[in-house]
Amino acid sequence: MFDQVEQYHRAASVAEALRLLQTGKGRARVVAGCTDFALQSDDSVRILIDITRAGLSYLRSKDGWLSIGATTTMADLEESSAVRNLAGGILARAAASCGSVQIRNVATIGGNMAHGSPAADLAPPLVALDAVMVVVSPAGRQRIGVGDYLAKTKAPNALLAEIRIPDGPSGKRCGWSFQKLGRTAVDISLVSAAAGLEVDARGKVKWARIALGAVAPMAMRADETEKLITGRILDRGLLDEAGLAVRREIGPISDQRASADYRREMSGVLVRRALQECASQSGWPL
Amino acid sequence: MKSLELHLTVNGEEKCWAIAPGDLLLDVLRREGYYGVKRGCETGECGACTVLLNGKAVNSCMMFAGHAEGAQVMTIEGLGNGTKLHPLQEAFLDHGAVQCGFCTPGMILGAKALLDRHPDAGENLVRETMAGHLCRCTGYRKAVEAVLAVSTPPRKVRKQTAGGKR
Repeated sequence: MFDQVEQYHRAASVAEALRLLQTGKGRARVVAGCTDFALQSDDSVRILIDITRAGLSYLRSKDGWLSIGATTTMADLEESSAVRNLAGGILARAAASCGSVQIRNVATIGGNMAHGSPAADLAPPLVALDAVMVVVSPAGRQRIGVGDYLAKTKAPNALLAEIRIPDGPSGKRCGWSFQKLGRTAVDISLVSAAAGLEVDARGKVKWARIALGAVAPMAMRADETEKLITGRILDRGLLDEAGLAVRREIGPISDQRASADYRREMSGVLVRRALQECASQSGWPL
Repeated sequence: MKSLELHLTVNGEEKCWAIAPGDLLLDVLRREGYYGVKRGCETGECGACTVLLNGKAVNSCMMFAGHAEGAQVMTIEGLGNGTKLHPLQEAFLDHGAVQCGFCTPGMILGAKALLDRHPDAGENLVRETMAGHLCRCTGYRKAVEAVLAVSTPPRKVRKQTAGGKR
């Protein structure tokens, strides 16, 4: 099936992976779990550089940041107490929704982001959490905000080495949620949403973060909807408004799984559900 | 095609095979006679090609053989000892959980990985595991019953209506 592949390397370090990438002259591809790559019919790839032994499988908390090595698997994320305790566990929940057990045992956070699918399950939580991508190239290490990383064309001689998540906003009356709609428990998402907010003692929204997946060319923040609800009293009416507002902000497509109209409709439903869960977690149940 | 050597342990036996760099683990295992590893969808959906890699269930159809260098691989042929079946295999027979049998090796290996980590796995965990194994004959209830019977303590499937909540 991959007869065109001429070399398979298990890079022992990031430096070795970069060197192999250089010598590959555009025909080399960095791979890890291969759950996306194995589905592509990209027959231009001659050299595979497996980075799962390059020392990039780790989770470290330090100085207000959680640093996650690019080859950390979905299963690792699901099980990590640091990830489960971060922002209501939205990243752990997204990882747990990313396909079957067999997929999650090998699929990696780096692969999920670098592959750049609009429906990447980890993208909405990482966007909502203002994650920073650490990209390594022969020129050095570069930190790129997740939004820019998703929007930019990937440099051919660089690789994603680490994902860093700041502690981010928290507070006494804080809540987070991850919601995903798929055809089955293991299918790719039709729509996914990650949200977080904080309310004050009277139920006024102090800040809100809303990110959506699979309804635009890449995962996106719903800035307008966030603005709409910030400073307002969180009640059922506001949830309805947010659900309507988000439908105007997104740009879904029709494909074999769902129509654009359906995705738009469901985006409203998921954002409403997400905000409702945030509300209940923040001690302001609706 | 430049060939490379693959060293790995399959069902407790050390192997050294010549492989092509683009070979998938599924291709190599079947070529070497492990026919219990089934070629199904080849897109990571059906789970028929499931093997255990260092104790974890993986789809061998999406894994390059080179990735398994130095790994411990278990296929369905490695369960039981030739005369005596593994308790999960016995349970699948006792509960009538095998129909055509194509999905069975993957299901049993997936269940083994689950019970090795969570010997007391309940129905939710068992069903989560079965989500990665497609059966096109009949369904999952008998298989779930079989796995729960091997869980410690043995459990029964909760009452369900068709299409009921998991």
